Amino acid sequence: MTEKTLDLAAPPKTRRFMGEAILRAEDQELLQGRGGFLADLPQPDAAEICVIRSTEAHALVRAIRKERALTIPGVIAVLSADDLEFVDDTLPCVDMIPGTLDVRQRVIARDRVRYVGQAVALAVAVNRYIAEDAAALVEIEYESLQPVTDHMAAMNPGAPLLYPELGTNIVYQVTQCDGNADFAASDADLVIRKRFEFHRQTAIPLETRGVTARLIDNGARLHVESCTQLPQVLRSVLATAFGLGLASIRVTAPRLGGGFGCKEMVYPEELLVAAVARTLQRPVRWLEDRREHFASTTQAREETVDAEAVVARDGIFVGLRVTGYANIGAAFGFVGNTPITAMGALVRGPYRVPNLDARACSVVTNKTPLNVLRGAGAPQAALVMERLLDEAARILKMDRAEIRRRNLIQPNELPLDRGRTGFANSYHVIYDEGDYPRCLEAGLKLSEYEHFEIDRKAAAAHGQLLGLGIAMYVEITAVGPYETARITLQADGTVLLFSSIMPVGQGSETTQRQLVAEELGVSMEQVAIRQGDTDEVPDAVGTFASRGAAIGGAAGRMAARELVNNILECFAATLKCDSSRLQWKNGGVLITGAEDECIPLSAIPSRLALLQGKKEPEGIEAKCRLEVPKPSYSYATHIAVVEIDPETGAITIPRYTVAHDCGTIVNPLLVEGQIVGGVVQGIGAVLRERIVYDSEGQLQTRAMMDYVLPGACDAPGDFRLWHMETPTSLNPFGMRGVGEGGTIGAHPAMANAVADALRDYEIEVNESGPFNPTWVMEALNKSKRSCI
Amino acid sequence: MSTPNSTPGIEILDDSSESHTTLSVTVNGKQINASVIDRLLLSDFLRDHLGLTALKVACGEGVCGACTVVIDGEPARACTLLAAQTDGAEIVTLEGLNAPEGLNHVQQLFQQQHALQCGYCTPGWLMTVYSMIQRSIHPDSPEVAHYLSGHICRCTGYKNIWSAVRRALGTEIEKSASKEE
Repeated sequence: MTEKTLDLAAPPKTRRFMGEAILRAEDQELLQGRGGFLADLPQPDAAEICVIRSTEAHALVRAIRKERALTIPGVIAVLSADDLEFVDDTLPCVDMIPGTLDVRQRVIARDRVRYVGQAVALAVAVNRYIAEDAAALVEIEYESLQPVTDHMAAMNPGAPLLYPELGTNIVYQVTQCDGNADFAASDADLVIRKRFEFHRQTAIPLETRGVTARLIDNGARLHVESCTQLPQVLRSVLATAFGLGLASIRVTAPRLGGGFGCKEMVYPEELLVAAVARTLQRPVRWLEDRREHFASTTQAREETVDAEAVVARDGIFVGLRVTGYANIGAAFGFVGNTPITAMGALVRGPYRVPNLDARACSVVTNKTPLNVLRGAGAPQAALVMERLLDEAARILKMDRAEIRRRNLIQPNELPLDRGRTGFANSYHVIYDEGDYPRCLEAGLKLSEYEHFEIDRKAAAAHGQLLGLGIAMYVEITAVGPYETARITLQADGTVLLFSSIMPVGQGSETTQRQLVAEELGVSMEQVAIRQGDTDEVPDAVGTFASRGAAIGGAAGRMAARELVNNILECFAATLKCDSSRLQWKNGGVLITGAEDECIPLSAIPSRLALLQGKKEPEGIEAKCRLEVPKPSYSYATHIAVVEIDPETGAITIPRYTVAHDCGTIVNPLLVEGQIVGGVVQGIGAVLRERIVYDSEGQLQTRAMMDYVLPGACDAPGDFRLWHMETPTSLNPFGMRGVGEGGTIGAHPAMANAVADALRDYEIEVNESGPFNPTWVMEALNKSKRSCI
Repeated sequence: MSTPNSTPGIEILDDSSESHTTLSVTVNGKQINASVIDRLLLSDFLRDHLGLTALKVACGEGVCGACTVVIDGEPARACTLLAAQTDGAEIVTLEGLNAPEGLNHVQQLFQQQHALQCGYCTPGWLMTVYSMIQRSIHPDSPEVAHYLSGHICRCTGYKNIWSAVRRALGTEIEKSASKEE
């Protein structure tokens, strides 16, 4: 770095865009209905594909009869495994570790199906209506096998095996320890043992998935467009699948109508649709409908966790043993082992708990593959810890806030190494800067914790059960290993950022431009952005793990910094002057001399052309590859107040409080949006949503009518939010991630609140629910019976 | 082998041997006469046939509200209606509410309140707000919850949607009050 670089520690008054609640530019198009989602893009020449999916949970495929389907006018082809050529037909899984048994998913069933919804064949027709007609006429002969859907049963000897050649359904095992893993309880210590159950969920972005594929450049290249959070990863996988060079493939991704993790996956259809385009030599499109989405898009969260906490009589948690069993469905997702691994990595949250013995395994069952969903295992981890804290407080007759205070890691203990994780690169969790006690106190104060018992009595007078749940978490954000960005000062004097971050609704189009405008000292209108095209950004990691603004945004801003360097070098070379005469100031080049001259950004290309004697102005480019050796750790306190009507079992949320720290905030408006939206997703998860399979492996929840999502009236009545801003030293601009925290905190806060509301009824809450009216009424009835 | 350029264009709707219905509708003030296959969904008719892609199909069964359009003054779900059922109807889609330039008043409020994130559900909400304004729903009326409960948003957590909708309805009430004075 040279003296030309901008001062990192710029005084606050020069922060023109950082920290400002700037309205989103992308709203203009979205509000007019011109968002340009994949299904909106006209594909008049594309044939439509309907994927024919397994109706069996576990079966051998004996025959596929296509003849009848092919007789329908308008049907172009019916294709199955034998008709499609792949050099490599496995889908990627990036969280396998040594010893993992390989159950990566194949793009299409060959001899055996392992879940309802697995792709078996494809009907291609002139339109979707006819493609569906054809699909209905394809006869698939199955020989049924005994399915297994329960992961605990699937581990038993004699259970049906999904992969008989492996001899087991346990395909992944990991151990994570810290401190003395052999810790033992003394006679005085309290030992709490609980089994926690986490129910299966799914993300349900309102936009389903979709893929189009066509040959371009006179058939020399393949262009795949997909609703993916990982366009660059998809390009690599396509290259491997077809034995093509990367340069022969272009992947684009339009704006996504939500992702939440379920589009952090390379899906069978992305490869299949591409294969059809290659086989038939014509453009094709597949649009997922909601019914197939429920069966074919990855699901999440399902696991069982046995926990044992040793707690001293003063409330100090001495040690924690957890054993997690994940129900990962029929095959690996892209990061399907990550949630259960995160249990060990994150269960202790902001609490000291010096000794840890965490074990976990992944178990295959005849269900749709499991992958990440907003929070990626952190909601389960936080729920386990926070329920144990409340349970310890209850037994020890200690205030719930006080037991947390006693266990919290203090600011002077940070950074703190929490031990080696079981993640693929076995990095250590090392908490960076923060002030957890202050975050707890802020949450307590903002939620009026001190007045709660009075409120509870008042509610009880009206027959209502009021409960308050406190929860804290620390989450891994801004994950590496790197991110890239490219930026151009175009010949017309405007700046164009090519970002590696996908717009999934988080406002990346605005925040990334804020960061670049901040760096250059120009207006945001002078900065345009393009995203989601591997021809423009060939190398990138992707949009997940709360890394978009923090890592992708930082890469963009660093690229802008490099652009300034390049511009100044250009002037120095052109003017043949000493670089000390050149500075970047007020959004332009300041040339000092007998008379100072300032050339604003917009005039730079034309001025350089003039100075260089060129007819046409030229662009100037800069790139950045930002290495991220360590993730940073956001944290928060969530306090939920719930009201349960014991007559109906209905739960409402009169007040919800969040105090959080995601480091330097780029745009508080969007941060608030992420948190409120994340919290309501978490509330939906624990109050409403549940994926249900019957014992035969048939998916029962196949529509949004069955899978009840939170609605406008489920949102908290009074939402209170407090931002702490402790910049992290791990990011050049102090930013951590914020996309997932709301959902993480809501799981334990709501579970604790429900348990607290029912505190007089001896009801165990060792689960993620869903705490729907049925659950509440059954729990109350059971409790009444046991009282009699 | 054919290249993409020589691939014959596919007639999406009209070359089918299926039974057709003739249909005459007004869409955003424009008279449309069409012959459509009997089973064509209204959502597909509007999106694929007329290119009105503001409405989104998200659940396909009338639960989420993303495909909401206004038919003869009533908000309706385009994904669970057949195009043939709307013969003679007057249909308004979001394209019909868009200002010639920039955002209309309700859209501005949605932007200011950050009442959208991914924006996929947004056109549906805007159609319902339009219906509420047409009916002079008061911002504090319990009916507001009734209307809003017909929509799912996965991103915002609804808080800012409530603010934007209440403001939009409030502005209309103020407007009509000042007219009466």
